[in-house]
Amino acid sequence: MEIREKEYGILDLLAIPFRCNWAAAGFILLQRVLLGLVPTVQVIATAAFIDGVLDVYWGKGELADVYGSLLVMVALVAYNRLIWRALSLAGVRLDMGYQAGVRTAVTAKRSRLAYHHIEDAETWDLLNRVSNDGQTQILGGFNSLLTLGSSIIHISGLVVLLFSQVWWAPLLILAFSIPLFALGIKGGRATYEVNREVSKYRRRHEYLGEVLLSREAVEERALFGYGEALNEKWNEFYEKARVKQYQTQRKWYIRMKTGSVITAITSFLIVLVLLNPVLTGVISVGMFISLVNAVFGLVQVMSWDFTMVMDQLARSREFLKDLTEFAKLEETPGAVELPARVIPEFSTLEFKDVCFSYPGTEKMVLDKLSFRLDAGRNYAFVGVNGAGKTTIIKLMTGLYQNYSGEILLNGRELRTYSPSELKAFFNVFYQDFSRYYIPLGDNIALGDVNHGYDLTQIEEVVAQLDLDDVVSKLPEGLDTPLGRIKEGGQDISGGEWQRVAMGRAMYNPAPVRILDEPTAALDPIAESRLYQQFEQISQGKTTVLISHRLGSTKLADHIFVIDGGTLAEAGSHGELMEQGGLYREMYESQRGWYS
Amino acid sequence: MREKLGLATIFKGLADIIWRAVPSLVTTHALVGIVHGIFTGLGAVAFQRFFDAVTEAVAVPGALAAVYWSLAFLCFVHIGKEVLNGVHNFISNVLLMKLNGYVNLQIHAKASRMEPIAFENGEFLDDINKAREGAQNSLVLILISSTIFTFYLPYFIFMAVYLYSLKPSLALALVLVFVPTAITQFIRSAVFARLEDQVAPKRREFDYYERCLVHREYFKETRQLGAVSFFRRLYFTALRLLQRETWRAELRTNLIELGMNLVSFAGYGGVLYLLVTSLFRGEISVGSFAAVFASVGTMFSIMEEILVRHFGEISKGMGTVRNFIRFLNLAERKGDVAAVARSGDIVLKDVSFTYPGAEEPSLRGINLTVRSGETLAIVGPNGAGKSTLVRLLTGLYLPTGGEVLVDGVSTKELAPQALYEGVSGVFQKYQRYQMTLKENVMISDTASNSDADFKAALTKAELDLDPGTFPVGAETMLSREFDGVDLSGGQWQRVAVARGFYRQHNLIILDEPTAAIDPLEETRIYKQFEEMSRNKTSILVTHRLGSARVADRIVVLDNGEISAVGTHAELMDTPGLYQEMYRAQAQWYAS
Repeated sequence: MEIREKEYGILDLLAIPFRCNWAAAGFILLQRVLLGLVPTVQVIATAAFIDGVLDVYWGKGELADVYGSLLVMVALVAYNRLIWRALSLAGVRLDMGYQAGVRTAVTAKRSRLAYHHIEDAETWDLLNRVSNDGQTQILGGFNSLLTLGSSIIHISGLVVLLFSQVWWAPLLILAFSIPLFALGIKGGRATYEVNREVSKYRRRHEYLGEVLLSREAVEERALFGYGEALNEKWNEFYEKARVKQYQTQRKWYIRMKTGSVITAITSFLIVLVLLNPVLTGVISVGMFISLVNAVFGLVQVMSWDFTMVMDQLARSREFLKDLTEFAKLEETPGAVELPARVIPEFSTLEFKDVCFSYPGTEKMVLDKLSFRLDAGRNYAFVGVNGAGKTTIIKLMTGLYQNYSGEILLNGRELRTYSPSELKAFFNVFYQDFSRYYIPLGDNIALGDVNHGYDLTQIEEVVAQLDLDDVVSKLPEGLDTPLGRIKEGGQDISGGEWQRVAMGRAMYNPAPVRILDEPTAALDPIAESRLYQQFEQISQGKTTVLISHRLGSTKLADHIFVIDGGTLAEAGSHGELMEQGGLYREMYESQRGWYS
Repeated sequence: MREKLGLATIFKGLADIIWRAVPSLVTTHALVGIVHGIFTGLGAVAFQRFFDAVTEAVAVPGALAAVYWSLAFLCFVHIGKEVLNGVHNFISNVLLMKLNGYVNLQIHAKASRMEPIAFENGEFLDDINKAREGAQNSLVLILISSTIFTFYLPYFIFMAVYLYSLKPSLALALVLVFVPTAITQFIRSAVFARLEDQVAPKRREFDYYERCLVHREYFKETRQLGAVSFFRRLYFTALRLLQRETWRAELRTNLIELGMNLVSFAGYGGVLYLLVTSLFRGEISVGSFAAVFASVGTMFSIMEEILVRHFGEISKGMGTVRNFIRFLNLAERKGDVAAVARSGDIVLKDVSFTYPGAEEPSLRGINLTVRSGETLAIVGPNGAGKSTLVRLLTGLYLPTGGEVLVDGVSTKELAPQALYEGVSGVFQKYQRYQMTLKENVMISDTASNSDADFKAALTKAELDLDPGTFPVGAETMLSREFDGVDLSGGQWQRVAVARGFYRQHNLIILDEPTAAIDPLEETRIYKQFEEMSRNKTSILVTHRLGSARVADRIVVLDNGEISAVGTHAELMDTPGLYQEMYRAQAQWYAS
């Protein structure tokens, strides 16, 4: 299935389940219609039964005559109680259909999204809502619609029956009750708004609760002793949320119970209307009794069921809005393709007056940035925090394309390359590299998906990175799943994960290798070691180091100093030191500690 | 081994909490429940009365008064029942929300009285993490139990009496309702948990591959590697397996349920048989038959509500309820509240420390005196035990061997308030509180509320209140989520430093931040650390050996032991770890 771009509306609550599994959805629909008819048939059967028994009492009939209607009554009860199992199984089929059809389509679309959506906090929430709540909201909405339909059939059946007995009764009743119900439904919208306000306070106190109980904050919490003061504040927010919620719930209950009291009064009216006909013998006692029972039975339907259905439909409609938004999100064509099979030759990469700001923001992260990389050399980008170093990588690898100026790869504008071609050029060792919970060997083999799993080559990588100790420790060596997802999965330490990621980088044949600044979790010694190792395994490649720590950047042939989104200085370490600019200042500030 | 908590203990503990929190609301809830239960039962009686009156009036024309009276009664009962149902459920909700607030306050208070080491203890961590959920479940548990006695029981007693009064053998109907439902629930709890256990691992795998495809932590790399199709393959394989398992489990579940439904239908049939035979024999009236027939369904659904929904919820939540009760029983720090001046020396005598559940000690054989007023630096490779040592010095952790003496008193004998008085710090993993700037700084000393001190702390931390960064000055909310602003790593670092300054201190801990900061910022921070430690006892934990040189003395930790103590010059004169590390770092800066 595909997530088509369109306005999703309430009818899609029917259409989507039918597309997921038409047989299951159709079966459920049919049964819910039948279930809506059951009460009416039940009334007729019960009426016949009671009248039969009364006839026997009054000496007008035989007991044998009532068995037929009794049988129908029993059969209806049986149907009513047993059909739910079949409905439940059909529901499972529908769940599965949703999972296989819609959820995977959502995942597929998410994996193709233009990258800026991923970094946008609001879109991110939307994405998670669409993935996580979809099944509940769509299928829940489907069920609610059916319940609504079923209730309408249920009520209409009784109205028709009533009409056939006393033709003017239903008209009177409808005239009286319809305006009242309309009023009840209207009240439902307001509560939705209040809920938003409540959730604002709730997020506040939930956050404070986290601070008060979390492991991360324990050091400051104990030493600064702010527990009590923060607890008071927690209570303040909790009470605000609670009072608001109290008010909403009061409204909710009043709305719901107004509905059922209106229904009760309507029932009362119906009984009054029917009273004279039964006393004058226009309708039978049996019909009267079973109609009264059925009409009062509606009170149940109208209170909890009706309110729940309305609430669910309101939630489903919100979700459909989300789905509409989601379907509109921009995709990057070719984003999920494999890297090009032929390893391209890299000669130059040139930024020419590149300006860039993140979508939806004003700030120029890169401001007329120009530099040039040549094949076979080692480069380093340095600069203070927020200078734009990581952004350069995102542009190089094509994650963002809305820059102005030119980026020329081998003399050709970067945007004219397909994603697949670009992937074949670059190999990035991210600071927050992925820890894939799949077998160790596959973790490395992912470095070259075109080539795939090649045992000899993987073993070479393992040997070169001294990963032997890790491999031999694992029960099934290279085939051992890492992490705790698969059964028999093993945990390895952070340092070991890093070496595995390094292995993946080594396995990657791309001609340009980029090392994004390693996380601060490393102490300076370990960091220098990482840089040295990186240089070692990158023999013959063009490398790019991103770092804010100097010293180890001396390993590079050529250093670019980025400041305020533009190139401040460039040259070898020696040249930059002579220039006496920002680089020297940074370097000296660190060296100061050692001289 | 942890004690196993009996049901009785749990109930007693919970009932105490509730009674203490909201006695009047609990009483009201119970009273409304009883009346609600009786009214629910009265519904059947009212129907019977009305139907009998109508049947009578049809047979004997003229007896209309009884018809109108019973109709009025019928309406009264039905409307009353609906209103009571609303009020009863509403009070339950109010009660739950109030209690939830109360219980959470207790949880938070408890968390701040607890031994901080409990958070490093794997055995307790589960109890702590699940305390909140457990509290919620406890409340539900107790509310359900109380509702059983104050609503369900009155209802069924009423029905029993009513049916008995119609015809003694009809009371049997209640047994016919109860037994099948109870058997159903018994089988259900035995079978279903097992079925769910079979499906869960498959679902985890499916969810995980989805993460690899779309989640932030994987997105960039999965795309760049071109690994999307690789994970799609795994994703769909996992989906097929998951669906196969789910279907198998659901099919079995529903077949078993079908069997159970048949049992309960047999119960229903039994009730109907009793009714019909009584009716045929003329032992009950047509009105009684119709009224009871209509309420059989209600009886079944109420019984199912108790046994299936409520007991199901209870047994699902029971695990976390135990977590919660155990959490409330976790050890608390006790001790003398008389403050120590924190002006004297801190003496460590043969101190060792082992994390709970760990086999190897993290620190051993530590003998060290931190002299009043000195600046002491602690250096060593990752995992040498630097942060642990600091936590022993502050008294956050108590030594598992030996003693830490503050002003001559063992940290084991002092209450936390006394121990932490006059201690401040900037920690490696300092907190980024999603609060206003002012709250972020003043949180280090909630007892004082001094604007002047706040300003002074900002100045010392070189934190400018420029309107570009802080649109509403000190009151700027530092959280995007709460409609405020995001700070950069460097700015957060300054906030943490201001926080450290704000708290009155004689002893200050400066743990080098791990967050990525550039060299200029780093240098500035060390300057501020120097400023903070002037005339105070200060302890500096650092990776950058160059910055340790400012200390009066340097402690070199290696693998949980002190390998050397001395000034920079002394340590550089003797071959060892310090010299080696220093050279390794300094080589990058050799000209």
